[in-house]
Amino acid sequence: MNIHLTAVQLIRIVEGVRNVDDLTTAMAVVAARLGFQHFALTHHVDVLAAGTSAIRIHNYPVRWADYYDRQALGVSDPVHRASHVTSVGFCWSRMPRMIPLTAEDRRVLALGREQGIGDGFTVPAHVPGEARGSCSFANEAGRPMPHKMLPMAQLAGAFAFEAARRLWSTRGHLPTPPPAALTDRQRDCVLWAARGKGDWEIGQILGISEETVAKHIRLACERYGVHKRTSLLIRTLFDGTITFGDIAGR
Amino acid sequence: MLQVLQFGAGPIPDGVLRAMFAARKAVFVDLLKWDVPVLDGAYELDQFDDEHATYLVLAGSDGRHLGSARLLRTDRPHILGSFYSELCEDGAPRGKNIREITRFCLDRSLKAAERRQVRDTLVTALAEHALGEGIAAYSAVAEIGWLQQILAFGWRCVPLGLPRKIDGALLAALRIDIDADTPARLRAAGIAPSPAIAGDARVAA
Repeated sequence: MNIHLTAVQLIRIVEGVRNVDDLTTAMAVVAARLGFQHFALTHHVDVLAAGTSAIRIHNYPVRWADYYDRQALGVSDPVHRASHVTSVGFCWSRMPRMIPLTAEDRRVLALGREQGIGDGFTVPAHVPGEARGSCSFANEAGRPMPHKMLPMAQLAGAFAFEAARRLWSTRGHLPTPPPAALTDRQRDCVLWAARGKGDWEIGQILGISEETVAKHIRLACERYGVHKRTSLLIRTLFDGTITFGDIAGR
Repeated sequence: MLQVLQFGAGPIPDGVLRAMFAARKAVFVDLLKWDVPVLDGAYELDQFDDEHATYLVLAGSDGRHLGSARLLRTDRPHILGSFYSELCEDGAPRGKNIREITRFCLDRSLKAAERRQVRDTLVTALAEHALGEGIAAYSAVAEIGWLQQILAFGWRCVPLGLPRKIDGALLAALRIDIDADTPARLRAAGIAPSPAIAGDARVAA
């Protein structure tokens, strides 16, 4: 078998789809060709809260998928968390070496195994300014991991996520980011707050008064419609107004 | 303003190209820790920075570097063909109408919102440059995380082989096909050039 030719064929299949149902069908075919029973292509958000704005297609066992949504596992799922610390596809068996797993995480993974989702391979998909996502391929417990197919799964996962993004964006669900919400001064204050400085310190750094700093942060909160500083930091990190590099860099 | 430049033998000329080589050092050596040569402790240049390379550079009105990319001819030695041909199932694509995109560089000084504007302007400039010069496709080597972003630009990408781990990084080779539909595909993906950054490309080119 010419593996690359197969990869290109799989990619043609996912790129050729015109709607979400076709993509779901195509992905089941792709997963099977790669040696997996199941796939899940998702944004990492609370699916019930996000409604149709978030990408989510899968062919997981129904009972497990319902439980997963009700528990809002999209945001706390250890597989999703692990996919935020790497851009490279990983086998779930490697997760304990990637992120700290809590007792609850281990319980969720054990429950998944009981419900027919044993080991899997997840391809992280991160497009700046948008919710993080991933494409996972999974098998029930006891099936061997198709190691030889994983480089192809990596490629297929990346192209499949992009195919899903395009379908969702033509449905108007993935708006381009709005123009900058903050003034440069507000952004400076938010950035120093993200670096752990208090208002007085920020004032000293920027050469303005503590009260002015507090005012900038308050106005920034109003622009984002949030009440807490922590929410403001999360929102500005999420939309790219500030970056992790800005916070850590110096 | 977009400038399309070439650079012959001899010392680095002052101005836009010098600023670009310094910016490349700041990004690829200081930030990304690539093991590539540095000239005079300040400029990142390698053996492909010669009279055969073409540079697309976005510079501010004061000459400040905003973003840049280096295009290499694929009918001559180039990065994919010389170093990473194992990433290509059927060998690296070569031809007079294929260029390799290398050293795609967004200036480190850019804030997040500007980064996106400069990136979008540079991606659009690459497509328009190809259409203007009769370039049918670009090739590129990308780390896997960057690959997802390249796909998200909306242009048509074809993998040239399976990703491989090389020197600790998972790399993949891509061909990006450019045709009359490409500008519309970029727009549909939300890639919008900023007129203030692009300037009048036709005059600059």
